[in-house]
This record gives sequence, C-alpha cells and structure tokens, in this order.
Amino acid sequence: MQNDTAPTDLRRRDLLRMIGMTAGTTAMYQAMSALGVAAESPYRGPIDLTGTPKGASILILGAGMAGMTAAYELRNAGYQVQVLEYNGRSGGRNWSLRGGDRYTELGGATQECKFDKDLYINPGPWRIPYHHRGMLNYCRMLGVPLEAFVQVNYNAYLHSSKAFGGKPQRYRDVKADYQGHVAELLAKATSQHALDATVSKEDQAILIESLREWGVLDKDLAYSSSIAASERRGFKKNPGGGLSARPIPSEPMGLNDVLTSKLWRHIPAGDIFDMQTALFQPVGGMGRIGEAFGRELGPLIRYNSKVIDIHQDPAGVTATYEDTSAPGTRLTARADWCVCTIPLSVLSQIPMNVGTPMTAAINAVPYASAIKVGLQFKRRFWEEDDHIYGGITYTDLPITNIGYPNTGYHSSGKGVLLGAYIWGLDAMEFTSMAPEDRVKKVVEYGSQIHPQYPEEFDNGIAVAWHRSPFTLGCMGVWTDATRAKHYDNLCQIDERIVLAGEHASFIGGWQEGAVTSALDAIGRLHQRAVAQGAKA
Amino acid sequence: MKSVFSIAAGLCLAVLSAGVHADNAGVGSTDGLGEANGKEIYSRICQGCHMPNAQGAVGAGRYPKLSGDPALVSWQYAALRVINGKGAMPAFGRTGGPEEFPAPVHLSDAQVADVVNYVRSHFGNRYKANVTTDQVATLPHPESVHAP
Repeated sequence: MQNDTAPTDLRRRDLLRMIGMTAGTTAMYQAMSALGVAAESPYRGPIDLTGTPKGASILILGAGMAGMTAAYELRNAGYQVQVLEYNGRSGGRNWSLRGGDRYTELGGATQECKFDKDLYINPGPWRIPYHHRGMLNYCRMLGVPLEAFVQVNYNAYLHSSKAFGGKPQRYRDVKADYQGHVAELLAKATSQHALDATVSKEDQAILIESLREWGVLDKDLAYSSSIAASERRGFKKNPGGGLSARPIPSEPMGLNDVLTSKLWRHIPAGDIFDMQTALFQPVGGMGRIGEAFGRELGPLIRYNSKVIDIHQDPAGVTATYEDTSAPGTRLTARADWCVCTIPLSVLSQIPMNVGTPMTAAINAVPYASAIKVGLQFKRRFWEEDDHIYGGITYTDLPITNIGYPNTGYHSSGKGVLLGAYIWGLDAMEFTSMAPEDRVKKVVEYGSQIHPQYPEEFDNGIAVAWHRSPFTLGCMGVWTDATRAKHYDNLCQIDERIVLAGEHASFIGGWQEGAVTSALDAIGRLHQRAVAQGAKA
Repeated sequence: MKSVFSIAAGLCLAVLSAGVHADNAGVGSTDGLGEANGKEIYSRICQGCHMPNAQGAVGAGRYPKLSGDPALVSWQYAALRVINGKGAMPAFGRTGGPEEFPAPVHLSDAQVADVVNYVRSHFGNRYKANVTTDQVATLPHPESVHAP
C-alpha cells in the first residue's frame, strides 16, 4: 500500500475491497442453491400410506438409501416388495470400509483394508446434519446409535501452501484475526462518517458497539494484542494455576497477512446450513445405517443382481437381471409397479421403455468425480502432538481435507484419518492413478501439514468414485439449465415406473436427498396404485 | 437502516458461499491442465474411466472400450463425445463459472483435437492423427454459463 495515502482513505479502500470480495461471491450462493446444496430437507415426519390395494406389488431397483427407504415404507404399507441390488451388501454409497474388507474397483485393482479393529473410513457420506430429519428418523427407527460429528474444530488447521511459508494456521487464529480486522475497519469507517449516507446516527452507535464485541476491539476501536483478544485467539502462554499462572497475550496476524493468505475462505464451512452444528455420525461408521436397513428388510433384498433390462407393459413392470455370481444367467422379477433408484450413470445404459422426456432427463446428468482416502497411522499423533480432537483441517493442496476421527479419543494404538476428499480435475487425476499411488501421493501432501506422516504412516485405502462398479461416479451434477429442462421429467411417474435417489433431489450428494426423493416418489406411486386398485 | 441490512446480508451470503467453495478447495489448486497434450490428457483424465489401456470396464454399467472402437472411424464422433459428453460423461467442451461445484473441467479445442488424435492413433487404433483445432471449432459446443 502506498505511504502517501491518508490512513482514512487507506482503510476505506480496504473496506471496499472486502465488500467487493464479498459481492463477487454472492453469485456463488445462488449457484449453490440451484444445485440444491443449500436447500432444506422437506421431510415432515413418517409417511402415511393407507389403503394399499390387496396383493399390490412393487419392484425396487437398488438397495441404497432411496431403495431401502421405499422398500421399508411400502412393505409396512402392505405391498409385496422385492428389491434387486447389484452389490453383495446393502447400503450403496452409505458404506464404511473396515479392517478385513476387500474392495475391487473397475479396472480390477483390489485393495485390502488393513485397518485395525473398530477403525474405518466412510468412502461416501460422512455427516448427517440435525435438519436431515428423514435420515435421523430412520436411524432412530433402525436403532442405529449416533455420536457427534465435529465440523468446526477451532484447533484444527487452515493451510495454504502459498501463505505463512506453508505453515498451517489454527482455525481459531485465522477466524479471530479476520473478524477482528474486519470489525476494526468497519467500526472506524463508521466513526469516520463513511457510512453516514446509509446508516442513521442511532444505528451507527449500535453498529460500533456490536463490532466492538464481535471483533474484540479496544477503546480506540483497534484490534490488537490483548488479554481480551487472546480469549478468542488463544494466548502466547495460557492462564494456569499457581505461580506459573499469569497469561501472556498472543500477537494477532496483520490484516495484510490474513487477507493475502486467503485462509478466510475456509472460515465459514461450519456456517453452511448442511454443516451446521449439531451434526451426527453413526457409531461404528456411516455404513451402519445401510447394514441395519439391510437386516430389517432381510430376504426382501436379492443381492448380486445386475439389472440389464427394464420393461413395462399395461399390467406391470419386468426387470431382467443377471446373477453376478453366475455370469450369463438371465432372471426376471415382475411387479405391478417399479421404483428405480439405480444411479443415472448406470440407468442411462440400461434399456427401459419410458417416454422421451424421462429418457432425455436420464441422459442429461453427468456424474461428478470424487475421491476419499483413508490413512491408518501407528498412533493418534493429531491428538497427542497437535491437540486436535475430531473436526477437519482444510488446505489448498489437492487433498483439500484432513478429517480427524470424531470418536475413540485418546485410544491407545492406531488411528485412521480421512487423508483426502478430492473433487473436480484433481479427482480425475487421482482416479487415473493406481490405488497405491493415490495413497502415496496423499501421504506426501499431508506431510506438508502434519510432518509426522512419513514416520507414523501404516497403511491406506483409496476409493475413486468413478471407479466404483456400482455407481460409475460420485453423484449427479445438475446445472440451472439442466434442472429447468429435465428435473421434473426425471421425477414424474412414467406409467408404472418412478425414479428416486439423490439424483432426483435438490439435496444432491446428500443421503437426505435420496430419502426424501424416495418418500416423495412412493407417495405419488401409492396414490396411483390406490386409484387403479379401486378401478379393478 | 435498509442499507446496513443489505450490507450485512451481503456479507453473510458471501461468507456462506465462500465457505461452500472452501469445502471444495483444492479444485483447481494444482496448476490445472495448462497446455497438456493429448497423451497427458488421456493419462490424467480419460484413463480414470476408460482405463490406461483403453479397454474400458464393466460393472453395474460400463465404460466403453476405446481400443478398436469402430465408431472412431469418425473423428467428429470422437470429438463430439469429448466436447458434449454423453450420459454420465461430463462435457469437456463446457466452461462453467468459478462458483460452480464441482468445477467443470474444460478442454480447449486444441486439446480436444489433440486427445482425439491420440486416442485414434493409439491402443491399436490406426487412424491418422490429423484432426485440427479449426475442425474441432466447427463442431457444436455446449452452452457455457459465462459466454463471452
């Protein structure tokens, strides 16, 4: 910044710069809304399906969250239900990999999960926010115990490979300092009459008072080193007891350092509606939900069944499938109606006689690339050395996240981290690597944040969703344009077939999208079945 | 009063959206594709699904085998697949805004030509690698969010 600029102008310019930064990103929120990521679950309690016609039957394709939600409710409503599932297990993307599990991806690479007992990684979803009431309801009904998922950990790191010499910063420090500096700028701009045209005198006083509190400003409206500021960002020496009790305040980072580090972009992760406290995870791994659902439905699910054709006629729907344990077999399942939850990436390749609008919709949704990598370490150094108990470190490195286990604190023995959660181009590049190379690369990157990695690394497992045999991708990606053109056509009942899954929701990629889409679909299908049943 | 509120609301939105973006930080944190050529693009992107030897793969669905695919006789067919995608395959000719999540991966017409040439002249395919950037540019491209 130029030295010849008056301090007032200088600060005002900083303020404008910040507001500019913010204005530039409002479009992002709108785009996220369009993608459904910021949307609320419409779940409003258990579904009421009464008056099921006697003997009515429904075929459900896929035993993931959508398919099993549909199967559970329809069975309870009196339908004859049969579920066909490609995998040899229930859950779909609701899945945990545990020690002893084997996973073979497309292309044939097989990984053995070598984690110790009780340690796991969730290759798919890993958190359930408090307002995903459908998911929480099924957890309650299925007796799946929950524990807290830590989204925001003030002692976890924010890391930029391009700032602070690549040294990770504590979330606490970045948040306190960003907030403190912004509060100072805004408070001073207000007191120097920069906002006179837009804020009344009375409101200016209140605004300044609030900024003083929000940013921990001193009597001169400055954010500076103090005991009060250290109550937010931590102390150079923490207060204690006895003769060594006296605290020493810490020194905030300068405004320029905070701004140019761009670490501020990670501060609001926990403010996002879907990531707000309280969040939950099933005890023992996300896959516990799919497993419990599978046990509940028991013999209604036929596993290892690969659907190869779906055909409807005026009287019902027939699915032709192959038993994958006996390749070449052709079996059929038939019912009055069909709820198809097969991901569009797969369904777009299966012949199915639905109308042109639904076919076009099925073909209009590309699938995102995503990767998760679980790393087992010989000890929980993040707790022992770094005092990080659960939560997430964010970084600008391709690994993007380090997720610490939100359970088993202080356990002796080994521990498992989510070592990477990768999207976009980086995910495509990692997918293109052999699994062991993905793990190796993730350990290399993570070492920049936790230097303990090379010494403590034990083993790892990498799931690249585009190599997943049962989904061929992570999740459906909608744009405003494709939603406008195809979304309703995807969700409409086509004669006797209705689709469900996260791809048929505005909560894309979240399990709640699968659950609410299934409930919405079967509610409509049930009305149709009741109407037909009465006619017969 | 109204103005303060709108400034505050603006901040909240920005903070929220920046956070959404933040959770996906790392997208584009590598140097991107830059001037990657056909071989590099194949090994960094295409082989994730079509496999290193272009043999494709079969699970609940399948990834087409590009080795010996008779449809590759038409360079337009190959280029259109890359540019516009098909079904679950993303459209690599599409550019999106920085706010899109996940950020679309975009190949320039020159890169499309290069990767089409590479696939059509490798993996047992014996077509001439003579597709040009200008030829690719004449093909229909998907609508871009931020058209120039």
